[in-house]
Amino acid sequence: MSEAALFVLPEELAIDTRVAQRLIVEFIRGQLRQAGFDRAVLGLSGGIDSALVAYLTADAIGAERLHCVLMPYRTSSPESLQDAGEVVRRLGCSSEIVDITPMVDGYFGADGVAGAAGPEGLEAAPLRRGNFMARMRMSVLYDRSVTWRGLVVGTGNKTESLIGYTTLFGDSACAFNPIGDLYKSQVRQLSAAVGVPEQIIRKAPSADLWPGQTDETEAGFSYPELDRLLFWRIDKRRSVDECVALGYDRAMVERVDRMVAGAEFKRQVPPIAKLGPRTAGVDYLYPRRRPGSSRS
Amino acid sequence: MQPLRIALAQVAPTLGNLEANLARHHELIADARANGAGLVVFPELGLTGYLLQDLAADVAMRLDDPRLAALAAETRGGPSAVVSFVEESGDHRLSIAAALLEDGRVRHVHRKVHLPTYGLFDERRFFAPGDMLRAVPSRLGVGVGLAVCEDFWHLSTPQVLANDGAQLLINVSSSPGRDLAATHEVGLGTATSWRTLMRTYAQLTTSFVVFCNRVGVDESISFWGGSEVVSPTGAAVFSAPLFDEGLFYADVDLGDIRRERIALPLLRDERPELVEREWRRLVAERAGLAEDSTAEGGAPDGFDVAPDDVAPDDVADQAGRAAVR
Repeated sequence: MSEAALFVLPEELAIDTRVAQRLIVEFIRGQLRQAGFDRAVLGLSGGIDSALVAYLTADAIGAERLHCVLMPYRTSSPESLQDAGEVVRRLGCSSEIVDITPMVDGYFGADGVAGAAGPEGLEAAPLRRGNFMARMRMSVLYDRSVTWRGLVVGTGNKTESLIGYTTLFGDSACAFNPIGDLYKSQVRQLSAAVGVPEQIIRKAPSADLWPGQTDETEAGFSYPELDRLLFWRIDKRRSVDECVALGYDRAMVERVDRMVAGAEFKRQVPPIAKLGPRTAGVDYLYPRRRPGSSRS
Repeated sequence: MQPLRIALAQVAPTLGNLEANLARHHELIADARANGAGLVVFPELGLTGYLLQDLAADVAMRLDDPRLAALAAETRGGPSAVVSFVEESGDHRLSIAAALLEDGRVRHVHRKVHLPTYGLFDERRFFAPGDMLRAVPSRLGVGVGLAVCEDFWHLSTPQVLANDGAQLLINVSSSPGRDLAATHEVGLGTATSWRTLMRTYAQLTTSFVVFCNRVGVDESISFWGGSEVVSPTGAAVFSAPLFDEGLFYADVDLGDIRRERIALPLLRDERPELVEREWRRLVAERAGLAEDSTAEGGAPDGFDVAPDDVAPDDVADQAGRAAVR
């Protein structure tokens, strides 16, 4: 099966996958070494992003040092769990299933019985429930970070980070992120190069909050066209008019601009009120890891 | 034949750990000596790591620091070494320094002149820029010119050093790898740009260019290695692999400098007095101290280009606008 048949890759987004793989593998090793860890943990959803990160992390530190946590909710698609299981089987890494249903239902309630959130929780909208699920998964991963003695590896890509299709302190929470500067199309290209199972590369990306949900129907445009627009608009600093001249609909360019601007807060550390002589992130600036900060 | 074996220490320094990096330098200088190298070159901030931020002051060394003297002592009887660290001056300025160590002492110190403070760089916030570009004679039998990373993104650096007598231009770098577009020669935009620069400089200065770039990771940034030696003809003599840590050796014949300079006497034909005259004019014009005869009509003092909203017949109004800007 050729790469071209697996996914659509806009020409200008094509990367040298060998260099990308090498750079990312060194990045993962460097992050762990500087923190004094040699193990990693990540949430494996059955989707392409976490599958790719699992492959790259196993490549960097060996599958035996990687622990994948599969965290389905009762409405999650069974295929997701199967696909995640296939990644675990092929890599030979450690894994476990943590069903987050009792955590989520314990808060929002289920079957007409109120949970910790009270009666109104039963009526919670899908977005609210989805964000809560993402944060429960984060809690599980950070707990497993302790028991597995490994750092939590992030699995969010550049496209979803830019448009804000991510949950603050949920799926975006991590110790470091190896693929956060790759667009979805590039994630697909690299996934094909490192051997992620084809059915995972082929299937429509989904937050898997309800049956049949896909990112692309929710957003209203395809990843390749969105990726290409973001590349020209942000990486190549093209104006709205210049993007329209590239063939994009002005309404789409303006809508994507608003999504990117509206998600700025999700990409940054929260501001601290400046009061004292030296303030973290303002005028107290140190590397995250330095002599004395490693555990060992 | 004037053979010289150059050792390129393409290392991954530990960020902020001066003692560990010093130990590694001692080891590698000994390795280079054992392998017959006449010169060993370490990357920019090889003794401290690159992304120091507020750690810079904690790892800074004075030039009389005994640890630097101990490192210099390794060069007694060869090889010469180029090492890089944070230097603290007597008046407490911090510089990114590269030092040529020879015959057991510090022969020459270059302080990074161009501190990138744009894009992913923030050097000017933490460091003072150097104010000198000097080539120095060396026990290697040729003049040496030192430069640090961004110094080479300014044409004047190799030009001044070569005209000052450098025949061996040494650039030590901590160059962050970026731009993975598949269209690049070696799959990395940064590497392609640097290779173009170095081949061009070597040819235009008819000098050897030695480039030592680090590997490893500081925070978000991955350094790409790819250290090189380029001959005075502009042809690469040796290219180290991308991302691999190691001590790499390149054998060159310094006799190539004479051959190339006889065949292609570009340096002989330089016109420093003309360049100096024109630069003096430019500096005066930029400062608004001389009328700029080559500026567009309506350009404010010190600028060459008029604001877009000024029509040519609006020029009379210009003095007032310029003052407001």
